Amino acid sequence: MTIHQPTHDLQLRDKQELQHESTRPGLMFRPDVDILERPDAYVVYADLPGVDATSVQVRLENEVLTLDASLATLPEASWTPVHSEYRIGGYHREFRLSDAIDTGNVSATMRDGVLELRLPKVERKRPRTIEVRAS
Amino acid sequence: MAQTMFRPWSGSMFDDLRREMNGLLRHHGASAEPAARGAFPAVNLYETGDAYVLTAELPGVRREDIHVGLEGSTVTLRGERQVQYQSDEKTSVHRLERQSGGFRRAFELHVGIDVDKVEAVHRNGVLILRLPKSPEHRPRQVQVQAG
Repeated sequence: MTIHQPTHDLQLRDKQELQHESTRPGLMFRPDVDILERPDAYVVYADLPGVDATSVQVRLENEVLTLDASLATLPEASWTPVHSEYRIGGYHREFRLSDAIDTGNVSATMRDGVLELRLPKVERKRPRTIEVRAS
Repeated sequence: MAQTMFRPWSGSMFDDLRREMNGLLRHHGASAEPAARGAFPAVNLYETGDAYVLTAELPGVRREDIHVGLEGSTVTLRGERQVQYQSDEKTSVHRLERQSGGFRRAFELHVGIDVDKVEAVHRNGVLILRLPKSPEHRPRQVQVQAG
């Protein structure tokens, strides 16, 4: 089976600016995410346009997952803005996970500005069925 | 498909954009989301000495799904963002915020573009379109001669 997002013409949604992150320099936005849960892992996809792999920080502390991405590298300093429809900044978002995560085996990849995060659950939290044998 | 034109040098660019957005809001009526809706993707335009640079955030759009067209001084962007997951009955979906769908926008730049030298790069989910000015629109220095 394949989960399809409803397909239609894309509409622009304003970036959601985070107001409370006053200790950070520059603008911070709340990235769009998809979160899937499988029996053995959570998988998180986050849109982080303009961010390269080295600028992403993922932290896991007390079952709270925190994504941080620093400011994008564009625009270059020599570019003079002529027309602006979107703002540029970093990204921040937190999630509470209901299962303990096997922190040693978390994997993160970036492709085309999308972070894919695989968070395996610790073994004991996986649902299991116990086979009843005939005696 | 929604198509938006803006004319950065005509002075009425913002009016054009506002009309477009109001039109979309009317079209969607009460079901419109509270966030402002407009044409996708949002673009920024910059000027350098010898070129214009148009950028658009297209995270998760594969390079081969982005089509850039040039005709005279009109630039068109179109493509498709596909968000889909292989799944089974053991997978539960907690959030689906990332949108899927097609897009098309057109921009008329009222300056000459050196069409043969246009370059498009898709880097970290941002399309960067470098549009060199045609020779007659580039800044130049005029040497002052002794009289």
